[in-house]
Amino acid sequence: MKDLLKVKNLKTHFFDKKQTVKAVDGVDFDIRTGETVALVGESGCGKSMTSLSIMQLVPGPNGKIVDGEVMMGSKNLLKLTENEMCQIRGNEISMIFQEPMTSLNPVLTVGEQIIEVITYHKRLPRKEAVKQAIELLNMVGIPRAEEIITDFPHRLSGGMRQRVMIAMAMSCDPKLLIADEPTTALDVTIQAQILDLMRDLSRKVNTAILLITHDLGVVSELAERIIVMYAGQIVEQASVDDIFDNPLHPYTQGLIESVPDIEGEIGRLNPITGNVPTPEQMPSGCRFAPRCTHAFGRCFEEEPVLLSKRHNTRAVRCFLYDEETGVKNVTDTKNTYS
Amino acid sequence: MSPTQKTLIADVKNEQAAKPILEVSNLRMHFPIKAGVMQKTVGRVKAVDGVSFQVQPGETLGIVGESGCGKSTLGRAIIRLYQPTSGNVIFQGKDITRLKEGELRKNVRKQIQMVFQDPFASLNPRKTLENCIIEPLKTHGTPKIEQKERVRELLDTVGLDATFANRYPHEFSGGQRQRIGIARALALNPNLVIADEPVSALDVSIQAQIINLMEDLQQKYNLTYLFISHDLGVVRHISDRVGVMYLGNMMELAEKHDLYKEPLHPYTQALLSAVPAPRKKGKKKRERIILSGELPSPANPPNGCVFHTRCPAAIDVCSQQIPKLQEVHPKHYVACHLYE
Repeated sequence: MKDLLKVKNLKTHFFDKKQTVKAVDGVDFDIRTGETVALVGESGCGKSMTSLSIMQLVPGPNGKIVDGEVMMGSKNLLKLTENEMCQIRGNEISMIFQEPMTSLNPVLTVGEQIIEVITYHKRLPRKEAVKQAIELLNMVGIPRAEEIITDFPHRLSGGMRQRVMIAMAMSCDPKLLIADEPTTALDVTIQAQILDLMRDLSRKVNTAILLITHDLGVVSELAERIIVMYAGQIVEQASVDDIFDNPLHPYTQGLIESVPDIEGEIGRLNPITGNVPTPEQMPSGCRFAPRCTHAFGRCFEEEPVLLSKRHNTRAVRCFLYDEETGVKNVTDTKNTYS
Repeated sequence: MSPTQKTLIADVKNEQAAKPILEVSNLRMHFPIKAGVMQKTVGRVKAVDGVSFQVQPGETLGIVGESGCGKSTLGRAIIRLYQPTSGNVIFQGKDITRLKEGELRKNVRKQIQMVFQDPFASLNPRKTLENCIIEPLKTHGTPKIEQKERVRELLDTVGLDATFANRYPHEFSGGQRQRIGIARALALNPNLVIADEPVSALDVSIQAQIINLMEDLQQKYNLTYLFISHDLGVVRHISDRVGVMYLGNMMELAEKHDLYKEPLHPYTQALLSAVPAPRKKGKKKRERIILSGELPSPANPPNGCVFHTRCPAAIDVCSQQIPKLQEVHPKHYVACHLYE
């Protein structure tokens, strides 16, 4: 599979008078053509900022991408002018957001908003664009598309609005769809419908999806590969099967164990203690060390690097694993368990 | 605890088991829809439409359902934050549905407390933590000298540092705020705590901390919980029995193991199958039932069974007659024509 997007050492910081908040602090990953990658983490871990940085929608003037590259083919998206970027957004990369109500324009009809994208990027005459908009609405499973197209967003339910957002995002057959918590605001039965739709569409048009979510359930439904973020950094990267069968990083293990399941044994939950560190109190050394049950001396002094096993997509940022091979370091674990 | 003590407690529990702490019968909560210049009532939103159940002392009854199913309204109608349209709420043997406000405050409010979903909206931003927790104590006449001591004690119980007492809510994270909300609810030693989506606004790792805390407190103070949530995993974890609501009606009510292992109502089956569960080692992927369509409006619910418009197993009678909640297996109640 070809690499579609390569993110290298991305750093997005927020500046104010008192301090610098390092929302995204050196993130590297790539997305291959047609692949679904999930970016997982708790609120404030920088997952949304990573996606906004790719789209160059970081809220200014305080937020700035200070370093890094986002390569799409031979183009570095971070070097493009605003005009050039407009040709990419909604065309090659498109995005859907968590709250479908606030991301649709309330004073324009649904149809008008989809037609706008099509006429802008494909330069089609209006008549053609209307026809395509109806086709798109049919494709995302909206009944009576010819009538809905003249409706305003407030007339639609949450699930319907999210379908409209998806129709709009898919209107130019993007190579990459960034979905930021696409089903968080929806009920489970509607969520199941939307996840099904996204899976079908990505297969049909071979669109890669970058799924941003905090819900490990949604991840296992949709994604092939997972990137776990904590405090602005990637802490683990692996395939879905590997993550759930054998999570390496203590944070990933904690995340999986804190979710109460709907089947199997009911034991006491095993939560991660403490809270996500605030930017002012970012610990030195490993950022997860103060909450980690396996932490030992070195964790508090040095920052671990993201290690990847050779010939493998797996990577982990933790001193428990050997630096050369990425294999579990037995001597260290002995120390920590005692 | 010595064995004799244990049996003693068990005996007491058995005795109480016959007497439910809370009995809700045929509760209805309709909201009028007003329109026009004269504000004439043109319709009714049937948020809760004839719900009955009992809660035994010391147990946790979970109520699940999707948004708009009336689960939160149910909680609020029980505690009389809304005046129910009809039906009865019997708390510790006494009908509280039509008690006067003063009487309610004097005798009932102390015993039933509520924990709310949004820890950001449910705490007054201009009150320090101490003032926030002291308020119920003042209202219900705890002697002034004991008040501050009690606040320290409560903070300690919910795992917050007592030195936090003079800080304001904005200084705390979501999880800490929810702990404050719980401390406030416990201030008056209630018997019944109605928790309305207490962990929905929290991150998973924090969510697990709060669930563990609630379980500990239940053991310690022998609390009874009515736990309202949309999250089926969380409800399964914390509840003893679970009720499933849809469009203002109770569709199924059973012991949790029965409900999750063998859901009887087609809606419960669909709901459970729709939950995207993290894949765990050696587990098979479950069969999915995807419901078509969306929730009908509670202002104009379908005739007969409210679920028949989306039900994959609907038969003719479903659109004509309203099914009654009946005991199909021991302690397993279902409102569905398929089991009649």
